[in-house]
Amino acid sequence: MASQTQRAYIKWRNWLPGLLVLAILITIIWRISYLGQVSERFNAAFFIRAFTESFKLGSLYALIAIGYTLVYGIIRLINFAHGEVFMVGAFASYFLFSQTPYGLLTAFLMAATIAYGLMRVLELWRGSMTDPVVLAGGAVTVLVGTLILQSVSLPFIVAILFSMLVTGVLGILIDRIAYKPLRTAPRNSLLITAIAVSFFLQNFGLLTFTNRQTPYRPETNWNAPLTFNVGGNPVITNWLVAVIPVITIVLVVALTQFVNRTKLGRAMRASAQDAEVAQMMGVSVDKVIATTFLLGSILAAAGGAMWGLNFGSLNQPAVLGILPGIKAFAAAVIGGIGSLPGAVIGAMVIGFSENFLTAVFPRTSEFQGITEFKDTFAFVLLIVVLLVKPSGIVGEDLSEKV
Amino acid sequence: MPLLEIDTISKSFGGLKATKDLSMHVNEGEIVSVIGPNGAGKTTLFNLITGVYTPDTGDIRFQDQSLVGRKPNEIVNLGVARTFQNLRLFMNLSVLDNVLISQHHNLKPNWLSAMLRLPAYRRAEREMRTQAIEKLAFFGPRLMSFRLHQPVYVLSYANRRRTEMARAMATGAKMLLLDEPSAGMNPKETAEITQIIRRMRDEGGYTILLVEHKMNLVGDISDRVVVLDYGEKIAEGNYRDVVSDPKVIEAYLGKKAEDDGQTGEVDV
Amino acid sequence: MTQERLEMAKAEAASMEDNRGRNTVLAVIGLGVLIVVLALLNSIDSSKLRDAIALFAIWGIATVSLNLINGITGILSLGHHGFMLIGGYTTALLLLDPATKANIENSARSQMTDFTLGLGLQESFASWGLGFIATDGTLWVRFLIAILLGGLLSALVGLIVGFPSLRLRGDYLAIVTFGFGEIIRLLASTRVFAPFTNGALGFQGVPSEFGKSVWWTCGLLALTVAAIAKLKYSSFGRALLGIREDEIAAEAMGVDLAYHKVFAFALSAFFAGIAGGLWVSWLGGARLDFFLFQLTFFFLVSISVGGVGSITGVLLGTALVVFVRQYGDPLEQVYSLDTWVRFAGVVLLLAGAGLMLYRSANRTGRRLPKAANLWVVGSVLALVFLGLNTNYGALGQWLTQFGRGAYLWAALPLLLVASRTLLNPQKRFYLDLVAVLSFLGLVVVVGSVAGNTWATNLTLVPLALLIFLPSETSAKADVYWFGALGLIALLLGSVAIDLGVLQTTFRGFGIRAIFLSVLLTVTMIFRPEGILGRAEFSWAWLFNERRDKPNDEERAQDAWLSNPELNQQAAQEAS
Repeated sequence: MASQTQRAYIKWRNWLPGLLVLAILITIIWRISYLGQVSERFNAAFFIRAFTESFKLGSLYALIAIGYTLVYGIIRLINFAHGEVFMVGAFASYFLFSQTPYGLLTAFLMAATIAYGLMRVLELWRGSMTDPVVLAGGAVTVLVGTLILQSVSLPFIVAILFSMLVTGVLGILIDRIAYKPLRTAPRNSLLITAIAVSFFLQNFGLLTFTNRQTPYRPETNWNAPLTFNVGGNPVITNWLVAVIPVITIVLVVALTQFVNRTKLGRAMRASAQDAEVAQMMGVSVDKVIATTFLLGSILAAAGGAMWGLNFGSLNQPAVLGILPGIKAFAAAVIGGIGSLPGAVIGAMVIGFSENFLTAVFPRTSEFQGITEFKDTFAFVLLIVVLLVKPSGIVGEDLSEKV
Repeated sequence: MPLLEIDTISKSFGGLKATKDLSMHVNEGEIVSVIGPNGAGKTTLFNLITGVYTPDTGDIRFQDQSLVGRKPNEIVNLGVARTFQNLRLFMNLSVLDNVLISQHHNLKPNWLSAMLRLPAYRRAEREMRTQAIEKLAFFGPRLMSFRLHQPVYVLSYANRRRTEMARAMATGAKMLLLDEPSAGMNPKETAEITQIIRRMRDEGGYTILLVEHKMNLVGDISDRVVVLDYGEKIAEGNYRDVVSDPKVIEAYLGKKAEDDGQTGEVDV
Repeated sequence: MTQERLEMAKAEAASMEDNRGRNTVLAVIGLGVLIVVLALLNSIDSSKLRDAIALFAIWGIATVSLNLINGITGILSLGHHGFMLIGGYTTALLLLDPATKANIENSARSQMTDFTLGLGLQESFASWGLGFIATDGTLWVRFLIAILLGGLLSALVGLIVGFPSLRLRGDYLAIVTFGFGEIIRLLASTRVFAPFTNGALGFQGVPSEFGKSVWWTCGLLALTVAAIAKLKYSSFGRALLGIREDEIAAEAMGVDLAYHKVFAFALSAFFAGIAGGLWVSWLGGARLDFFLFQLTFFFLVSISVGGVGSITGVLLGTALVVFVRQYGDPLEQVYSLDTWVRFAGVVLLLAGAGLMLYRSANRTGRRLPKAANLWVVGSVLALVFLGLNTNYGALGQWLTQFGRGAYLWAALPLLLVASRTLLNPQKRFYLDLVAVLSFLGLVVVVGSVAGNTWATNLTLVPLALLIFLPSETSAKADVYWFGALGLIALLLGSVAIDLGVLQTTFRGFGIRAIFLSVLLTVTMIFRPEGILGRAEFSWAWLFNERRDKPNDEERAQDAWLSNPELNQQAAQEAS
């Protein structure tokens, strides 16, 4: 008898998520048709705009979420500091396009950091830090970078690329200083350290970057206005609705190719399965972990720059990283932490729940809208997913063995 | 009237059938050994009885109450306690605390009474201590006096095993499931633990089901032996009959023709 | 046989209660001494000191209760600020006096916010015939009832938050508790709860005579500590510790995981609610940004640095955190940026030197000389004085000169290592000797240059190289990392003014938080169980009663038991 109830319980947990999704979809369709009848304002163009905005936001979250998912996949650490890495990435690009040209020494130090980041990236391709190509790349970058940084005002795209490399170095540094000594420590210690690093970066940013809202206006036409007609009504938006998803797709495809095709990528997947066995098979797990942090931070920096461009300003460093970070983490969990496609799917879920849901429950004369609750959605979704299906949408089951 | 009755239980993990239509029983006051080659499903059987896993089909009854679907702590309440193959002691707690924890579920006074140290709680605590020390005293002076207060991580492996057995006894269970009680012990200590298991039955009144690899221990104390192979029961009976059963020999040593090197630990 | 065992066990169990009477007397005396000390401290005419003591007590209640989940039950919970918020707002709303309420109502009206339910709470209680809770009666009775209600409400939420702990473990559970804490705060600002909380604006005017009173706060802290300590050493506490050590084993031994975990959450939330009530009283108002995740972070630092699971350690950790918070403000004065960065550089170099020292001790397997501890204490003091700037007398002034104090302190471990090498000549002896001599030469040169100049910083480069290169003990890469980072910071300090993006003078926002986060990271790396670890203060410890240490007779018997063949003599003595 009892065993039957047990099985019924398991079944219940299997179909419940599907049912919930179905219910939400039906609600959305019902709301769209209902709102269309209520007011002229809620026409197709309104929802197309909401859709593109949600997609854009989802793409932004995806760039951050991948960092969480990569790190969790390999060292089972919720990298609490990843939101702050994103923050540093955003500010790095800001300083690179708005404050250049630098003085000679600053330019040199910056170029050296960038060169180191570039060498780590080239290493992924060439397999060794002492490879002639890698060394040459580093040397050239130091020289040319110094010259460029102290002579011209950087174009936005270069600033983004440079900030990605700088942030990548930061990721490696965080791992090296704070996490590596704790490889064998209990996981709770690691998580507490991650929280400490996150606080450190927040306050460090407050100390050295700025302590107030910073306008983020690079000279670029990526955010040029864009208007097109849907069903006779104009959709007023900007090119970022295309640019951000394209950048996300390019980076995610590149990352997937890297993970699936290259030797180091295979080593990463092997370490994600079982780090100890991978190590015994000759995989340098430390290198894999460093790579993971490098890649996650690079994507987060791209996300940071896009975030600034999208919102036109950066919040002060102590708060900029927190909410995007935790939402991206929620996205990674919802998708199935440890899985790349899962992170993207989860990010879309968060982006849509935050933006599209508020659009289908808009503020009208009799209803105040749900905008003020939108920050809680990510938390609620996170908790519900963890309780109902901890493995997420596409993830594997990571529960402990007895 | 058997104390524990296992009725055609099956359990599979994914495609692997860990236990297949297994039926067996243990009578009150008996010592029953479960033996079998590695991977035969002995520990799975223990996990099924103690509620760590739930069987896919079949029923497990203890004193006519079904154990299926109950949580491990409820099963302890009913009177079945276990030890673990890989020792799961509370490493940073003292020996005494380890044994006291297993009596916690019998504690009558509530948490407020414990917090205020009311007389009822004090009495219960003293009684729990007495019980704990009495159980530890089964193993002679080894775990007495200063050892009571030492954290478990300083103990030798054999002493840890003894602590775990005392801990299981202290739950107040009628029936003990011992998972390889002599693992990691030298022959002298094994001989001693054999005596102690017998005394646990004779003096303590426990019914004992044990998984064991050391055949001389099994042969010494078992009233009955159950042999498992690939999750199925292949033989049951007294030790002499069972070890001469061709099916058992085959399970342990493999057929002559297709000897794939899979051998169990046999030291008859 | 059985009977004999039972008698023996009874005698043994009874003997464990031998010292009860003495301990009770000592506890009473100890409490008396504490009261006298508190009274003396309270009589000092310094509101800053009183505030610090009260804050220590308030945060102490919170950390000791968080320790019940994090340290004793072994579940990492990050939602304590949410529990405190609930207790805090409840207490605040029940304590407002009519005049203040009228003020708040006016300002709420002018801000177009709806705060009716919160302000009407007291009248609601009165209309239910429960006026003694909110309107009638003396303030302190109302305060007691208010924090009790706040604690109970918080415990109720704790029950709810505790339920996920039945299905989740470790880091996932930590994230869920964090999520709950944030949800509580985010919801409190939405229109559903804004009528209770006045949204993000909050309100002022909560009577502060309780939160700022040393007696009230310390009294409640004493109650909390007594309750949690008594619980920890009862059967329930043992069960919770069992869950921490091994959940599966605990369940297999009959511990009801669901009941005990949820119980721990609820009890912890109850005390957190009380701490929240005192906290709003200490602040004199309730606002949502008084209950940021930062608060839980501070508690986490207290617990992790002080000693996970140890009430004594947690209280010491709290004292440290509160000290940094209340007395660390000179750190956040306006300095030029290069000072900051060079400060960081010196900190890193000192850390590297200290690390080298301890590595050396570990490698050689000998205890460090007492002087080493003195050096560590001295380094910390030097840093404190560096932070306190020049207002603190000649010593502070002297130490503020980066060119002198820091160098001398950094020199000491080298001297120690060198003296050890001299006493135990090894292969690397000459290298060390040369290093130390050239280092001392440098110190002389540098001392003559002194001051915060470019030249000083550049001379630090070879100095740092000397610290991190020569000794055999510095083979570990960590030391190099500290050295490299310190050097980078020093170089940065030299060029900081050159960095166009950075202002030349700085007000140090968050320096204290940086300090605490660095402290937490370092603790996690070098001593994950905290400074005190699991050690706990007890009278037995005070009198050095070690029940786990055998006397000679027991030792002999034990040796005989473990190996009779090899211990013939012990066997004879034992028999």
